[in-house]
Amino acid sequence: MRLNEEMTDLIQTLGAGLLIGCVYGLLGLGIVIIFRASEAFNFAIGEFLVVGSFLFYIFFFDLHLPFLLALPLGLLAAGAMGAIIERLSIKPLLGRSALSMTIITLGLASVLRSSVQLIFGAHSYSFSLELPDTSLEFGSLLFPSERVWAGLLSVVTFGFILFFLFRTRWGVAIRATSESQAKAMAFGIDARFILLMVWALSSMCIAVAGVMISNFGALSFLTGIAGLRAIPVVLIGGMDSIGGALIGGLIVGLCEALVGSYIEPLGLVGFKDVAPYLLLLIVLFIRPYGLFGTVRIERV
Amino acid sequence: MKGRLFIIGIMLLGIVLILPSAASFAKPIKVLAQFPMSGPVGSLPEFGWGFIDGMNYINAKGGVNGQAITYFVEDMRYSPTVEVANFTRYAAAEKRDEFILASGYITGGLKPLIDKVNKEERIPWLDGSYSTEVFGPGGGPSKYPYYYSLGATYGDQMRVLLNWIKEDSKGKGKVAIVYSPTEWGRDPLEVTRAHAKKIGLQIVAEEEYAYTATDATSQVTNIRKAKGDYVIYHGYSAAPTHTAIFMKTARQYLKKATLLGTHYTTGPYMILTCGKAADGMVGVSCRPQGDDLTNPMVKMSHEFADKYKRKDGIKDMFLYMEGLTYALMFHEVLTRADTAKELTREGVKKALDNLVWDYHGVFGGRGFSYKSHTIPMVRTYRCKVEKEVEQAGKKVAVGTWTPISPWINTDIELK
Amino acid sequence: MLSVENLRVVYHDVISILNGVSLKAATGEISVIIGANGAGKTTLLRAISGMLDLYEGDIIEGDITVGNSSIRGLDSTDIIKRYGLTYVMEDRPVFWYLTIEENLAAAAYSRWDGAVKADMEKVFRYFPVLRNLRNQKAGYTSGGEQQMLAIGMSLMTRPKILLFDEPSLGLAPLVTEELFRIIQQLNREGLTVVLVEQNAHAALSIGHHGYVLENGRVVLDGPAVALLDNEDVREFYLGTGAKERRSYQDAKRYKRRKRWL
Repeated sequence: MRLNEEMTDLIQTLGAGLLIGCVYGLLGLGIVIIFRASEAFNFAIGEFLVVGSFLFYIFFFDLHLPFLLALPLGLLAAGAMGAIIERLSIKPLLGRSALSMTIITLGLASVLRSSVQLIFGAHSYSFSLELPDTSLEFGSLLFPSERVWAGLLSVVTFGFILFFLFRTRWGVAIRATSESQAKAMAFGIDARFILLMVWALSSMCIAVAGVMISNFGALSFLTGIAGLRAIPVVLIGGMDSIGGALIGGLIVGLCEALVGSYIEPLGLVGFKDVAPYLLLLIVLFIRPYGLFGTVRIERV
Repeated sequence: MKGRLFIIGIMLLGIVLILPSAASFAKPIKVLAQFPMSGPVGSLPEFGWGFIDGMNYINAKGGVNGQAITYFVEDMRYSPTVEVANFTRYAAAEKRDEFILASGYITGGLKPLIDKVNKEERIPWLDGSYSTEVFGPGGGPSKYPYYYSLGATYGDQMRVLLNWIKEDSKGKGKVAIVYSPTEWGRDPLEVTRAHAKKIGLQIVAEEEYAYTATDATSQVTNIRKAKGDYVIYHGYSAAPTHTAIFMKTARQYLKKATLLGTHYTTGPYMILTCGKAADGMVGVSCRPQGDDLTNPMVKMSHEFADKYKRKDGIKDMFLYMEGLTYALMFHEVLTRADTAKELTREGVKKALDNLVWDYHGVFGGRGFSYKSHTIPMVRTYRCKVEKEVEQAGKKVAVGTWTPISPWINTDIELK
Repeated sequence: MLSVENLRVVYHDVISILNGVSLKAATGEISVIIGANGAGKTTLLRAISGMLDLYEGDIIEGDITVGNSSIRGLDSTDIIKRYGLTYVMEDRPVFWYLTIEENLAAAAYSRWDGAVKADMEKVFRYFPVLRNLRNQKAGYTSGGEQQMLAIGMSLMTRPKILLFDEPSLGLAPLVTEELFRIIQQLNREGLTVVLVEQNAHAALSIGHHGYVLENGRVVLDGPAVALLDNEDVREFYLGTGAKERRSYQDAKRYKRRKRWL
């Protein structure tokens, strides 16, 4: 079956959108698990992305460790960083309103951004992972290796987190605490430690996404802008839905790709950055809690 | 009575103390230099360092015929509004006969200041912009008598690139242009289109690439659809991340295409941030490469960097050299004006207009007149990225830009 | 033996709920605490189990001891681990979005021994109905099943002392009967129980010792059977005891001075 040119273009666009959508889904997951546990929206997601990527950079590029060693170490470092940040800035607010915690993350974003600039300077760092070539080429369809790896690793990470949350005892404890801190404490689950774990997990997810995104280009403190893509992702998918994060991510990825290929050439350059927000508005009109958010078990 | 005597005594004492230093109260020489040391084009503090080191050196050697130059350096963050605001502030605060030379570094700042600089203040203004509109055939000294550019216009640079493409592709190349949505980015487009038509090359895609972009896939896929095989990237320096993003994406999707760049993308920064993606890139530059120690100006810059202990911080010698060039240039014209006993704005302008100078050997010893208010020397280089080597404990992509053409005087030699 | 001495508890630094409560729960006995709404029963249990922090409450005076050690100010997770004291919160504290089995696993989180599976089996033996529902989300089960689950979860923490906060609230009478039967059985197997209840009759029927809490103070205590017979307890908490029809005037409670001793 010979695909005509338009079909090929469409498949190329959809494929690219899905691949990047997986990365966005992972970013969304990072936000969702914190939101479920602390009810706070982590506005510092962009900065977590950059710090996580820089931590990996140190292990892989500075210390020249092989990728299979550098990645887990980098993720552990990112997790530790998330835990430290939680201890210093979030824990003191335990019991206070979620709004306070959210506002703290705004300040946190500033502090982290400046710290990164102080430590690593303001210039760009070359970032080429040079993983084994997995580019997919069929005729005039081309999915470059970096993108394929990004989609792959994001899905794998997502899977790990799902496994952790639904098949391990810590996962059960996390989900219990996310539902009710008081009940959890009453049954001996140390809610404070659980929150620490959640922030550490979230940081790891975001670090994986960050490494993939940095691999597309270079790494600098500005790379964190990509983190803000997570906002439409979780608002479309539902702020407290894990599955929604993936679906939201894919939707935003597809939206971006389709707009970039078909609407931008009409002259609206840059529209693909705006389009997910427009889509978000539409979705919120129909489902105010996002597509999969706030499914409530109602007692009849 | 005693009180009054006392006050008069103090006054006399004061006058007596001031008198000796009054002799050295010659009119101060004030200049303002603005560089984009931060902002969307990346972090480029080397500009400022080069200028400051140059000024300190000059002043230590006596300045302008014995008098030190009072210099102001500002970071205009690559924003036209900031540049305009800075200049307006200084022009209002300083006296006309003291503040006699200024410089800027953004095409977008030239336009708003046209009237202010050329009609109101009448102060000579050097700029790092190579705007075709201001300095090219449509503008020039007749329209903007006080504007001076330190390089060849972007339009000329594009023409050189197009000529190279024609030769390399034997006339069959399909050209794609990727530009930034700024004055700088859009500047050479018309001239480029006209010239391409003239020499029979096809421009198959023109893609705008915003500096808020996190992703270049749509631009690159469009080029791929249009089957562009020569991609010219213009309007950003190599420092910011989005350049790296574009280069790498282009390299992945356009396997057989040649990437090209204009003046500010041709340099070590490109290799630093893009690594292997920059291999094989062709670029034009109005200056020699920062590691070309056979060039006297380059050599001098390196010596300065050593002397003032900047070596570790400098990522791109070109930027440092540029700042230094500005300082040396300021010194040269101010000295000439002073020697002609006309240390005023008009005097400096005259000095610039009549300047015939070799710029400390920057262009391999050739000297020019500044009559056209541009320095129309351009050279084409090719980038070769060697394997990554260890450098100060880090894995760094090392490469060079080798000249693949002689210095072309775009006024005279460009067809 | 759990002992509370002169406990004063304040919420938000200003609202005084417990004004000097003293009571003892003898080991191996069921101690019942009854009282009207707002008497401070839940606050008392929160204070004992170390959960006051979460509700912005503070113990400003007094002490709580288990055996010879003071547990005042300790964290709830410490108290569960070190002293085997578990608090079954009011209103059926189960995790609605977790399955019954996951609920039990969550309650066992703080334990690192390998007997978790075995303990789950024990819980299913106490409450066979839960076994059939083990993969159901807890939020979809009935009130009675949820209360069973809550007790089962508390058992997973291997408690020695269990605090129950109004377990019969909102349950049908038959279910309540079953519930109290189970509490009695647990007590016979060696668990010390502190039972706070609205259903004073059923509670005092299975209890050994009883306390009446009013306005943050213990106003009466004694063996449970004695309380069952006490006139004022009968009138105010058991709904019986009016000897003859009173005129409306005499029935005005606030006029009648309560003689507690």
